[in-house]
Amino acid sequence: MTLFLRRTFPLILTFLFGVAAALQYYIPHPVSEAALTEVSVWLRIILGFAMILGIASLSHVHYAKIRMRTAGWGYSLVVYLSMAATVVVGVWSRGQEEGTGFGWIYTYALLALQGTMFAILGFFVASAAFRAFRARSKEAAVLLLAAILMMFGRVPLGEYLIPATGPMAGWLLNVVNTAARRGILIGISLGGIAMSVKIIFGIERSYLGGRD
Amino acid sequence: MKDLASKLLRMDRRVIFILIALATLIPLLRPIGFPIRISPEVKQVYDYIESLPPGSVFLLSLDFDPASKPELYPMAVALLNHAFKRNLRVVGMTLWVTGTGMAEKVVSGIASEHGKRRGVDYTFLGYSPGGTNVIINMGQDLAAAFPTDHYGERTADLPVMQGVTSLRQVNYVVSLAAGTPGVESWYLYGKEKYGFELGGGVTAVIAPGLYPFLDTGQINGLIGGLRGAAEYETLIGMKGKAVAGMDAQSATHFIIIGLILLCNLFYFLTPRMRIRSFTGTQDGPGSPQEARR
Repeated sequence: MTLFLRRTFPLILTFLFGVAAALQYYIPHPVSEAALTEVSVWLRIILGFAMILGIASLSHVHYAKIRMRTAGWGYSLVVYLSMAATVVVGVWSRGQEEGTGFGWIYTYALLALQGTMFAILGFFVASAAFRAFRARSKEAAVLLLAAILMMFGRVPLGEYLIPATGPMAGWLLNVVNTAARRGILIGISLGGIAMSVKIIFGIERSYLGGRD
Repeated sequence: MKDLASKLLRMDRRVIFILIALATLIPLLRPIGFPIRISPEVKQVYDYIESLPPGSVFLLSLDFDPASKPELYPMAVALLNHAFKRNLRVVGMTLWVTGTGMAEKVVSGIASEHGKRRGVDYTFLGYSPGGTNVIINMGQDLAAAFPTDHYGERTADLPVMQGVTSLRQVNYVVSLAAGTPGVESWYLYGKEKYGFELGGGVTAVIAPGLYPFLDTGQINGLIGGLRGAAEYETLIGMKGKAVAGMDAQSATHFIIIGLILLCNLFYFLTPRMRIRSFTGTQDGPGSPQEARR
């Protein structure tokens, strides 16, 4: 019975829902549409539980770090404190942000911290460009030239100094970049289809936890 | 000369940080205002909104968090100004929970500047958990995905939502995205099945990945990065934060180009270092010496 619940039953469910979802797309019958409406609500409920699982997993990892006093365990404490404070204040404020403590945390902590994290990227990109962007080979030289052309042609000053760089950067994006991206996308999509078929037919079972 | 090049190649990274800080700050304080060329992909979004008759339903999904605010917030401001000017019915929402407060502020803020009434001319649906599944849910039954709007009003009763029961009745969707769920999700799970027109506004990092979708008409236009936002501000004749930021972006780009050129010049002037960098034994990228600098 345990083996049935742990392996066979999930495989049956995966097969049924996988085949039904694929067929549903091609059958726009009212019954099929009603089924999709119902299932789309189920999906969101299941994802809600996934969020609980995520919080539990995060709490477990950081609890272990605090208990073992591993390097940087203080940061784990910060995770706990900030998460608890936000949840308590959020519930107290009934999820409303306007003029509440929850709104204050959002504006003066989350917004400021995330903005700062993103802003410092510019400094590191500049530093990395100086140290690592070197024409060590022909391929690296091509990459270097393309990067310089893009940086030149995508800002008004570059286009003002050499007007041709704007259309050249546009050509790089629209032709060279699109061709490469499309190749990658087709490859990813074919891989996705192959993996989906393997999962639906129970050939790929690693999602069950590897205890096949 | 070789010694000087070698020394400069080992320049303290804080010097580069100061250069970047100055290149950002000075143009922001003393803007020059270089002319901005309008790219076809941004113009296509503008033209489509221009072509919509008043009363059409325009759904703006603000799928980003505060980290991407400098690039995407000006886009939201410009698009909302355009939509309200055109008297479209505006429906705002987000698929990113951390973007909810910011998204609500920009939608209600711009609406009040245009004298629009909440629930009648616009609404903000807020956030609903489920990521991309919310799009499918909205396509099937919008009121099931968002039974109430962000302010607790029943979605089905709102005058602005009259006649809109699913995504099939929405005329134009623009997703301002900083990742997934974002523009690709709206195409795969929304436009493909429910048939609305879709445009995208994304950070500069994501934009190159969406050009294949633009080329095939899967999205009808693309606003990429701060540059795209500046172009849109120019198109609607309301120069704001994006246009102001373009001078700073010009300066930082030129600093980075200068640094790359100098780095390569020094690199070819110092053959010994070139060998060391190849082997990675001394101060190549990733070495402890490199990290300390």
